Amino acid sequence: MTSRRTAAVRAIGILLCAVAALAGCSSTTDAGKPAASSEYADVANSPACTQLRQQHPNLVGKTMTNALNPYTPGYETVDPNDPGRYQGFDIDLGNAIGACLGFSVDYVSVGFSELIPTVSSGRADWILSNLYATKERAQGGVDFVSYSKVFDGILVKNGNPKKITGIDTSLCGLTVALNKGYVEVPLVDAVGPKCEAQGKPAPTTSLFDNSSDCVQAILAGRADAYMNDVNTVNRYIAEHSQDLASADTVMLDYTIGIGVPKNNHDFRDALVGAVTEIQSTGLQGKLAAKWKLDQNAVAQPTVLSAG
Amino acid sequence: MEKFAHYLTTGWLLEGIVFTLQLTLYGFAGGLLLGLLLAAAQLTRFRPLTFVARAYVVIYRGTPLILQMVFVFTALPHVGISLPPLMAASVALAMNEAAFFAEIFRSGVRAVDPGQLAAARALGLAPKVVAMKVVLPQVARMSVPALGNEAIATMKNSALASIIAVPELTLRTQQLTSATFDYFSIYFSTAVMYLALTGVLTLVQLLVEDALNLDRTTRRSVLSRLVPLQREAPSAPLIASVRPSQPPGPRTIGAPLIRLAGVRKSYGAHTIFDGVDLEIRAGEVVALLGRSGSGKSTLLRMVNGLEDADAGAITVAGMVVGRDDRGRRLTERQAAEQRKLLGIGMVFQHFNLFSHLSARANVSGPLCWTGTPKVDADATAEALLAQVGMAGRADALPRRLSGGQQQRVGIARALAMNPRVLLLDEPTSALDPELVAEVLDVIRGLAHHEGLTMIIATHQLGFAKEVADRVVFMADGHVVEEGPAAEVIEAPSHEITSRFMNAMRAAEV
Repeated sequence: MTSRRTAAVRAIGILLCAVAALAGCSSTTDAGKPAASSEYADVANSPACTQLRQQHPNLVGKTMTNALNPYTPGYETVDPNDPGRYQGFDIDLGNAIGACLGFSVDYVSVGFSELIPTVSSGRADWILSNLYATKERAQGGVDFVSYSKVFDGILVKNGNPKKITGIDTSLCGLTVALNKGYVEVPLVDAVGPKCEAQGKPAPTTSLFDNSSDCVQAILAGRADAYMNDVNTVNRYIAEHSQDLASADTVMLDYTIGIGVPKNNHDFRDALVGAVTEIQSTGLQGKLAAKWKLDQNAVAQPTVLSAG
Repeated sequence: MEKFAHYLTTGWLLEGIVFTLQLTLYGFAGGLLLGLLLAAAQLTRFRPLTFVARAYVVIYRGTPLILQMVFVFTALPHVGISLPPLMAASVALAMNEAAFFAEIFRSGVRAVDPGQLAAARALGLAPKVVAMKVVLPQVARMSVPALGNEAIATMKNSALASIIAVPELTLRTQQLTSATFDYFSIYFSTAVMYLALTGVLTLVQLLVEDALNLDRTTRRSVLSRLVPLQREAPSAPLIASVRPSQPPGPRTIGAPLIRLAGVRKSYGAHTIFDGVDLEIRAGEVVALLGRSGSGKSTLLRMVNGLEDADAGAITVAGMVVGRDDRGRRLTERQAAEQRKLLGIGMVFQHFNLFSHLSARANVSGPLCWTGTPKVDADATAEALLAQVGMAGRADALPRRLSGGQQQRVGIARALAMNPRVLLLDEPTSALDPELVAEVLDVIRGLAHHEGLTMIIATHQLGFAKEVADRVVFMADGHVVEEGPAAEVIEAPSHEITSRFMNAMRAAEV
């Protein structure tokens, strides 16, 4: 009772602050200040990282802004206990990279479709936000440094009533909920002609802004399937174990990559070095385990560029 | 329910309200200012400006706000303009809202009665004064409900700033739902927060509407009780009379004051005047007779420059109306000065009182706006309203007055500017028969007042015969006949005049 009253008093206080802020005080968010860098001291002090800092002195002491689409539980969301901070595998990985290269990280949270424009327009320095590296996306003005392989899960109603077996003709005539701009959209669209060849209607895609909206579409019966990273899918199943299940796991021919402006070769090469070190010490695997990303498969850092 | 209450008091969400309020404030205020400029640009006669403003409205009203936001946020940095997210979203919101504000103001301006604008010009008010004192108050009052709508629309549209990294309420809601899986309790608590905010905006709108309500006479508005603004000065002591009514004495007819020479006027193919010559002497009362459409009103409007002649010249006291010494057309502002200098007042068939002002303010307002101290202006108004028998209704709005009462206020308003010429354009034609007499009485009183030159366009033959020194009968674009009133009305020499007089007499019986 007391705590609720305290909460109410605090709420009123914040509203008063709101009025004060309108009167002129500026109000900025300190969302996601990097975790104490000592957490990654081992990596930072490794000979490889020490050498990387010498090779890329421009990055040392800097703050690199990460363009983030924080709607993927396990990878990047706000911390529900302290929503001013971000949490997840990508956040930790970014801090580890920062520790290795000597920079700290802050964040700008944008819509998924705005991730690449935000970096190519110079409003952010890099993207570390569970973004699948594709040639088409690279053409938006970024190079990708890959770090994970992609496994997709197919989320369905419990018991898989529509008998979905994968991104195949089992989807004919069904509605698939997908995140706007995700790579699964063209993959599902490509099933359409195959369905029509069999005299069946093509699948319909229902596009949403974030994962939780997609999952709500399944729960509400508006969509029959939802595809996303298998770890994300499994999290939603754990949360709604009565209602949801996984139909299948599909390996897609993509990697997950860090996006950097295409002309910033110095930063790109530094990232390749840092990711290599973090993978070789097993830190990436540990971070994946910490966030219960059981299906996370390390991918060698390679560069994907539109040329 | 517990979760709902928890999220309703989650500080992080409430902090999002600060950003939502900032976006709403900047978007609304910026949109209001830019919208005013756009509306003004569209209403000017300078074509390129109108075109640019029109194009702006078409583009910004015709493209989704979400694209405009992304454009300001991600495209402008490529040309070196990198606004912080909050400012980028505020600019995008303001630029989008401006298009809608411009249309609200423009429709408000268009809805202002053109008759009131003609009356304001005829009083010799400068264009700026007309805009500030006649147009703006009426537009502002008309626009309040629409502006309330826009304020709420701006607040709701501010949710779109979530896609360009402004940590406002909707963005925080989405982020929290993604992190906690408490989808519905978070969305519901956010909806309640928005509802509380828009509820406050609605309340503000209603208070402003109440404060501007013209029909409130006895009680003070809620707002004015909160804010002690002085709405009206205490009324000035009533002076006996500005113009003591004099007994009808011998009237002096002076030298020619108004002269029309070879005046031509046509509207498209329809010729109104085909070379009219006419002379009116100082102190003379002239009745202008003729069929409807014979150009009586047009002639009066040309004498005070509300209409331009196609050819020929109209001079008042030696000055060419609407032209300077070198024959160049005067600007609106110069024309207003000339009207004031020449002292030409006008009374309109449809009264054309300023609908947002009381009877007293209709008379005193134009005086105040042209530099007369308020106390003197009020005293003049009281005296003139008493002279036309309207002292008892000085605080009434025009729409609360009968036609005859409105016309008497219209006469008082024209007299307040102390004219030497009074043009009366069918002053009783729009009145119910039982109200005609009260207005004619007032005009009769004026006709007996020495010195005031009057031209009265009328269909009242008996009245014309009684008050007019001379009758001018017009038909087919010419002055057909003119002469002493009794002579032209009783024994016209032209057949066309005779037919008209007979028809009018038959109608009067």
